[in-house]
Amino acid sequence: MDSLPTSNGSVRKRQFADGAAAVTAAERPAGRRPGPVAAAPGRAQAPVPTLALALLLAVWPAAAPAQVKLLENERAFAFAGRGLDDRTVEARFVVADGYYLYRDKLRFSVDGAVLAAAPTLPPGKVKDDEFFGKVETYRGMVLVKLPLDAAAPGRPVTIRAESQGCADVGVCYPPQVQQITVTLPVAGGKPSVPVEAAPEKKRWFN
Amino acid sequence: MFSRRLLLVLGALASVAALLAGLYFGRAGLGFDGGGGRRDAATLLAITLPDTAGAPQTLGQWRGKVLVVNFWATWCSPCREEMPEFVRAQADLGARGLQFVGIAIDSPDKVRAFVDEIGLNYPSLVGGHGAMELSKTLGNRLMALPFTVVIDRQGAIVHTQLGPLRDAQLRSIVGQLL
Repeated sequence: MDSLPTSNGSVRKRQFADGAAAVTAAERPAGRRPGPVAAAPGRAQAPVPTLALALLLAVWPAAAPAQVKLLENERAFAFAGRGLDDRTVEARFVVADGYYLYRDKLRFSVDGAVLAAAPTLPPGKVKDDEFFGKVETYRGMVLVKLPLDAAAPGRPVTIRAESQGCADVGVCYPPQVQQITVTLPVAGGKPSVPVEAAPEKKRWFN
Repeated sequence: MFSRRLLLVLGALASVAALLAGLYFGRAGLGFDGGGGRRDAATLLAITLPDTAGAPQTLGQWRGKVLVVNFWATWCSPCREEMPEFVRAQADLGARGLQFVGIAIDSPDKVRAFVDEIGLNYPSLVGGHGAMELSKTLGNRLMALPFTVVIDRQGAIVHTQLGPLRDAQLRSIVGQLL
């Protein structure tokens, strides 16, 4: 059993490493490899961690299990926001690794205040899409300041963000609307704590 | 500590088993794996949606063919990318009983424009959120696109796939059914 920790460690590492590789591999034509599968049952005698590792290595790239990796729409493109000052909400998307948002599909609307001007969207990364031509996309974190009129400190403001994005593996999500309600700080006060549209999992923040 | 190791080993074995099962049932690839092997496509074949001219079409009219139902949208770049391959496959294998049908989650005018642009040689129906919900019942848990369902001549779903269905894989799947 002494070898177990080390073996286990490598199994676990391989899992992550190969999992990440599989996402990239999925962009290539997916070819099923029946060889390892057919051979697998006959190898039941091998030490368990070795067997697991061998099977993972043999099967994982071929299987390219996007279903294991793909996130829900609202997790892939996690929307949040906070009251930055007494007349500004800072909207925020955190785009998960391997996903991108289309800049020109971003829309914001406000309840409980009025957008003072069309929000200035940060420049995206220009992607030369075979069909859409040059489109700008966002990865990572996107911050957009929403200038508000008729807002009052302490009063709730609801922000609805419409977005549409895709995963690099070749899957696109339909447009979605996410909503948060924030309270603006008083003039000169500290920004409010960020509110997440889908708060059950906090791992996309902090 | 030991039990954690054991869990890791079991976890690794479980994922291997799941992957093997996926491969065994021919549902791997970049595909969704809903498990359960063959399923009846009755729900899907029963739906009626307008075509690009607005005329209602029932999927059941193609029963008896090897039917490839492709959920797509013009706003979905990978969908647009793979459709020319479907056009070629339809041209090559249509006479042997292969029938593609698109279900676009989109507006009719955008669908018409794209159908003309690539010279789509098979019908595309136009669905809305309801069609997306339907794809969810077929295993498209994330309601993402493209999502493709292959139905055999007996009306059973033999393959579902989230993400691009590459030409070689497509031809290998339908080749066994034609």
